[in-house]
Amino acid sequence: MSVPIHQYDAVIVGAGLAGLAAAREIKKAGFEVCVITKLHPLRSHSGAAQGGINAALSEKDSIELHEYDTVKGSDYLGDQDAIEFMCGEAPTTIKWIEKMGAVFSRKDDGHINQRPFGGQSEPRACFAADRTGLTLLQTIYEQANREGVEFHDEWYAGDIIENNGVVSGVVAYDIRDTKVAIYNAKAIMFATGGYARSFAFNSNAMSNTGDGLSIVARHGLPLEDMEFVQFHPTGLGVNGVLISEAARGEGGQLLNSLGERFMKKYAPNKLELASRDVVSRAITQEVLAGRGVGKNKTSVHIDLRHLGAEKIMERLPELRDLALTFQGQDMIDEPIEINATAHYSMGGIPVNVAGRVRKNANELTTGFYAAGECACVSVHGANRLGANSVLEALLFGRHVGQTIMADLPTIEFIPASADSATTLQNELDGLKNSNGDERVHGIRTELQDIMTSNAGVFRTGESLEVAKAKIVELRERFKGIRIDDKSISFNTDLQEALELGHMIDYSMFIVEGAIGRKESRGAHFRDDYPTRDDENYMKHTMATMSDDGSVSTYTMDVVPGKFEPQERTY
Amino acid sequence: MIDNSKRDVKFKVFRFNRDSDYLPYYKEYNIEVSQDDVMLDILNKIKWEFDGSFSYRRSCRHGICGSCSIKVNDKSTLACKDRVFDLIDLFGEELIIDPQSKKRAAKDLIIDKKDFWDKYNSVTPYLVADIEERPEEENLVTPYEYEMLDEADICIQCGGCYYSCPAVEANEDYMGPAALALAMRFTKDVRDKGVEQRLKDVNQLGSGIWDCVKCMECFQACPKGVNPIGKITTLHQQTFEKEIHNDDVATRHAVGFKHSIDKHGFLDEGGLVMYSDGIFKTMTHHAPVGLKMLSKGKIVMPWNLPKSKKLDEIKKLVKISSKVKF
Repeated sequence: MSVPIHQYDAVIVGAGLAGLAAAREIKKAGFEVCVITKLHPLRSHSGAAQGGINAALSEKDSIELHEYDTVKGSDYLGDQDAIEFMCGEAPTTIKWIEKMGAVFSRKDDGHINQRPFGGQSEPRACFAADRTGLTLLQTIYEQANREGVEFHDEWYAGDIIENNGVVSGVVAYDIRDTKVAIYNAKAIMFATGGYARSFAFNSNAMSNTGDGLSIVARHGLPLEDMEFVQFHPTGLGVNGVLISEAARGEGGQLLNSLGERFMKKYAPNKLELASRDVVSRAITQEVLAGRGVGKNKTSVHIDLRHLGAEKIMERLPELRDLALTFQGQDMIDEPIEINATAHYSMGGIPVNVAGRVRKNANELTTGFYAAGECACVSVHGANRLGANSVLEALLFGRHVGQTIMADLPTIEFIPASADSATTLQNELDGLKNSNGDERVHGIRTELQDIMTSNAGVFRTGESLEVAKAKIVELRERFKGIRIDDKSISFNTDLQEALELGHMIDYSMFIVEGAIGRKESRGAHFRDDYPTRDDENYMKHTMATMSDDGSVSTYTMDVVPGKFEPQERTY
Repeated sequence: MIDNSKRDVKFKVFRFNRDSDYLPYYKEYNIEVSQDDVMLDILNKIKWEFDGSFSYRRSCRHGICGSCSIKVNDKSTLACKDRVFDLIDLFGEELIIDPQSKKRAAKDLIIDKKDFWDKYNSVTPYLVADIEERPEEENLVTPYEYEMLDEADICIQCGGCYYSCPAVEANEDYMGPAALALAMRFTKDVRDKGVEQRLKDVNQLGSGIWDCVKCMECFQACPKGVNPIGKITTLHQQTFEKEIHNDDVATRHAVGFKHSIDKHGFLDEGGLVMYSDGIFKTMTHHAPVGLKMLSKGKIVMPWNLPKSKKLDEIKKLVKISSKVKF
């Protein structure tokens, strides 16, 4: 069978903020670049970001304060060189995207407005009502499109061409007809998004299946800090869909079934505006103590009534609509039921500040780059601050685009052969022809349930071992999968099966990372090791997968900087 | 006791696979629906519990990515945002699920949207400005100027309006409500330097703003409250403001309305035709119909046309509400 081989200077997988920002840079510099996405670019999950994007713009604020908040928020696991770079570039990045057309909410004097967010010393989140990601995604897509970037939408990237750390292509198939093609290029960039979809209760899009991570891992390349999954305090009680931190930023109060504003106990100074990990644990503890609300007493209330209808309609119109749609609750008149929801992936494909993917703790790959939620730079360490994620995606996406521009003249083009498509073609054929009794939905549900119950907000060595055994079992059962659809047109059955395979692979990284980290830091909380242990664990987890799906870990040093570790209180 | 939080619903679902089916068909699924279910929950249930080959687009599941727009009993529906109970209230307990456009169907609810995206690309869909790559300052935009966009920027490109628009159905060249609303998102942006060209592009007869038939379907279809027809009206006004409008049947038709109201306080339909098409074309093109109407007493002769009793008040209103001179 002949496999088409497309040649470009650079190929980017993923068309959210990071992928698009990189593509625009590369195209502007005169190189040929193609962006592959399994959706349409404007459907990317970056567009779902609600509350804001951080930059120290105001007179009272400073870049150093932004750095400090981010380092503290990361529970001292963030790499300070990367954090320093991000916070320093943030103001320029905001002004740049504004110049390109982003529709920010404004102050009376015409400057971009900013709102308070959790863990921030100053109001620092620039926003567009509660649809910040939407305007950012639209804007960067519009301007990348303007530059003539080539987009291949509804193409599913399923493999990379990699040889001993040198990456020279992507193998993908057209979702329209399941035909495989090779994208052969000097530089390959992953901007494939996060992995919180492996939890039952999550805020993520159905497409956020973390494909990029497993594709990398299957080549024996490492993933970093995968145990750090952020649980956002305010997901809608019924389905985990996000109620932005803007709800707390604008003054929302958390109440338990007794009507107590319980954050007074957990974070007496910052209350609801403590860091996300702190608030999520507080909510979960209230629920576990029997002070939950709602049908199954698994939620708490967020009360926004005191803001008044006018402010809610101006600042939080989307959130009001979501609570009305999914729970029939109007935040103007009543408190909303919310619960901690798996939201953001701090870990991912390890990269240095320039965005070059690491081959191991000491070496870099060649021709391979990553940015955005799929990457671990690491600016978020053990816990990301609100409104730093879209900043990271946009800023590092652009920066990595510039790295690729600079590298391209020195990278040797390695022509691909059609044989490189064999792995993906076999995977597709295998799933189509497999004829067991297992169903995609069944295995996926079991995986998500075990991850939420055993590797969630609170974890123990014991619960994690149970999760590990379950993943081993599910991986075996996955071999006996059967899908109904054997056709070639828009075979979404096949796609969901492929995605499930990826979810099983990377879930083991989350669990093994959590087993190995015998301390509590940021979003990773071990009941059996409830304190932070800087002496033994102020290190990044690096993990690799063997062919049998087992995962082994080693460590990599954290990049220190001007902020020394302190006890973290809010 | 009757459980009001559950209802049994029959879903008749459009099925088609271009690989193997010559014609589409409907398949029925009887499903117990809960009060909190949105249409996407039903689509997922069909796929995951009945038939894995059932295909549809979806991603964010909370109304922001625009993937899952479909039709239910011909009503444009964003599957992840429309509650099944609300649809039952409208249509009863038998719901027909269709793709946005049956003739564009590729696989079940997935359609080929090439025409939609081509039209998106036809309105210069980006801010025309010299981009400073490392700006020292942002543009200053007052809240008042920001409000001029009238939330055109929150469109999620789901295509709900486009595939509900009868003008698009009748005329494949018509840009349609989504692309035109997007054009206005830029023409009302104080930072944009491409306003005039964009207005010229949407001012073309046969494809642009004058081919909107003002039926309000797009207003009904929009899941985000963007009100595309309001945006098209804004573009109409802008073409007059910037004096980009042509002297043609479309603009004369618009002006004729104002002229008639200003003169009589009523709409003089015969006069409107004359005003729009000119005397010659009216005589050659519309005479047979006109004579027939005259014989049935449906046309009022100009000298018999009544004037509104409050014509002075109406004239004042027209003056106040006229933003532009034409």
